[in-house]
Amino acid sequence: MDIIVLTKRVPVTQEEELKIAPDGSSVDLSRVPFRMNDWDSYAVEEAVRLCERHGGTITSVSIGDMESDEVLRRAIAMGAKDGCLIESNQTLLDPFVRANIFKNFIEKEQIPFNVILGGVQSEDDQFGTTCGILAAMLGLPFASMVIGIDEVKDNNLILRRELEGGIQERISIELPCVLSIQSGINEPRYVSIMGIRKASKVERRYFKAEKYIEEDSSNLISVTKLFYPPKKEGAIILHGEIEDICRQLIGILKEKGVLK
Amino acid sequence: MSYTLIISEVRRGIFEERNLDSIGIAHRLKKPVYILFPDGQYPINEKWVDIMIKAQIKEQEFSMPKNICLLLEKVFNKFGMPENILLTHSSSGTECAAYIAGYFRLPVITDINGMDEEISAFYKSFYSDKVYGEFKITKKVPSVLTVRSGTFRALIEERANCAIQEVVEGIKIDEKRVFIEFVEEEKADIDITKAEFLISVGRGIGNKDELPSYEELTGLLNATLSCSRPVVDKMWLPKARQVGQSGKTVRPKVYLAMGISGAFQHIAGMKDSDCIIAVNKDPEAPIFQYAHYGIVGDMHKVRDKLKELLKE
Repeated sequence: MDIIVLTKRVPVTQEEELKIAPDGSSVDLSRVPFRMNDWDSYAVEEAVRLCERHGGTITSVSIGDMESDEVLRRAIAMGAKDGCLIESNQTLLDPFVRANIFKNFIEKEQIPFNVILGGVQSEDDQFGTTCGILAAMLGLPFASMVIGIDEVKDNNLILRRELEGGIQERISIELPCVLSIQSGINEPRYVSIMGIRKASKVERRYFKAEKYIEEDSSNLISVTKLFYPPKKEGAIILHGEIEDICRQLIGILKEKGVLK
Repeated sequence: MSYTLIISEVRRGIFEERNLDSIGIAHRLKKPVYILFPDGQYPINEKWVDIMIKAQIKEQEFSMPKNICLLLEKVFNKFGMPENILLTHSSSGTECAAYIAGYFRLPVITDINGMDEEISAFYKSFYSDKVYGEFKITKKVPSVLTVRSGTFRALIEERANCAIQEVVEGIKIDEKRVFIEFVEEEKADIDITKAEFLISVGRGIGNKDELPSYEELTGLLNATLSCSRPVVDKMWLPKARQVGQSGKTVRPKVYLAMGISGAFQHIAGMKDSDCIIAVNKDPEAPIFQYAHYGIVGDMHKVRDKLKELLKE
């Protein structure tokens, strides 16, 4: 089974304080670490497991600047055979434009595949739509939030999608297809620095994004400004030394009746 | 005449509560509101919408991406193009929204949590809710939007007249993707929805080896241990312990969130707790917006000091 995995390099912002430029046009990410999008690492791992069991090869594809080469190296270290970087120095925010580039790239460069995998969403813009748009453009069936692939048959897959409230739905989907992979489906393997170093010796292929942008597929949406979320009343912050804070906390627990 | 089209989210005969946010934003968009739903009896208030379109298709087939596109072709033929197509920001809502956008080549914005009608802009969050973006549609075509749960339902107003009932006939069902069954979660040893006092750990825990010490703390406080999604994803705690949209919705007397930044999917599962206390080292973490009390600091240090004081 040949698999294309879409991967993206994203800033890790969960524990960072983010500063928006005064004109509201951008966020300062100069001191924020970057890595492979968390959801994509589950997608790469799932691809590697599928190929280990059923044969085939994995091509990892990214859109981004040259720095994004690092996520291809990681994908190769995890088990991908090949990495393709579609180079763009512009931030392509519109998921429609990104999906369109992937579609034209896969078709023009004739990248072989039975399945295309990607993460459910990217950590930075959280659109969660690239795989779905791509599937529709390629005329292929699509399933998102895939949390388990139970059976691989000749012409179809049996898989589970995550719904809300702990419920899943089991579906059958015909090959070839596009799937977006939910976090928690597997445990992405650990990659050592040695592994990454070895992977960097595997040749990656580089392409220019402009080649795959159609004339009529310019941005359908644009972001006009960025701003901080409106503040609510917010929490009463407990101040003091740690012992003092913890004594206040114990006081609150007693007051609320959960601690005697 | 243009209109707003709502694609309802229905499952097992239930009209999901999240749909109310689609109806709320539709009222704010000031266009006639059409709502599309499958065969079945759903308790949709007839004074909330102008036209109710029943599609002659079974519920499970209705929420499949390709089927919904085929149905939309019929809707567009019969009623013309809408100005906006609204779905819930949920597993199936977002799945269908993306496919619709690709199929009809339409702009899509997901997870809408606000808008400015004066300038026709929609807001959505970035970077785990730390930054919001103001978006505009740059082409004059219908836009596909998914609406965040809990954001617009307060704007619903009853209309004077009841909705007109319409029907679109069935389609040739897509055979490339077929529903088989719903899969329920395995029965768990502990039901976190019954707990009065939850201590919930998140991404900030950092390492699995830290868990036993939190279990010890919950023991000392007679509390129950729960967690946010990243902890379940790493398989450090079972799924049944997860609080949030894809896990459990809880309403304990006290919810002590440690190392949880507060993604909206998590907030959706705990915001109605009587008292929320958050411990996080990032003072800008969104969870402090929802908590009653906050501690800005290292969760492990708070844990250790609490244990020390409780053992005294």
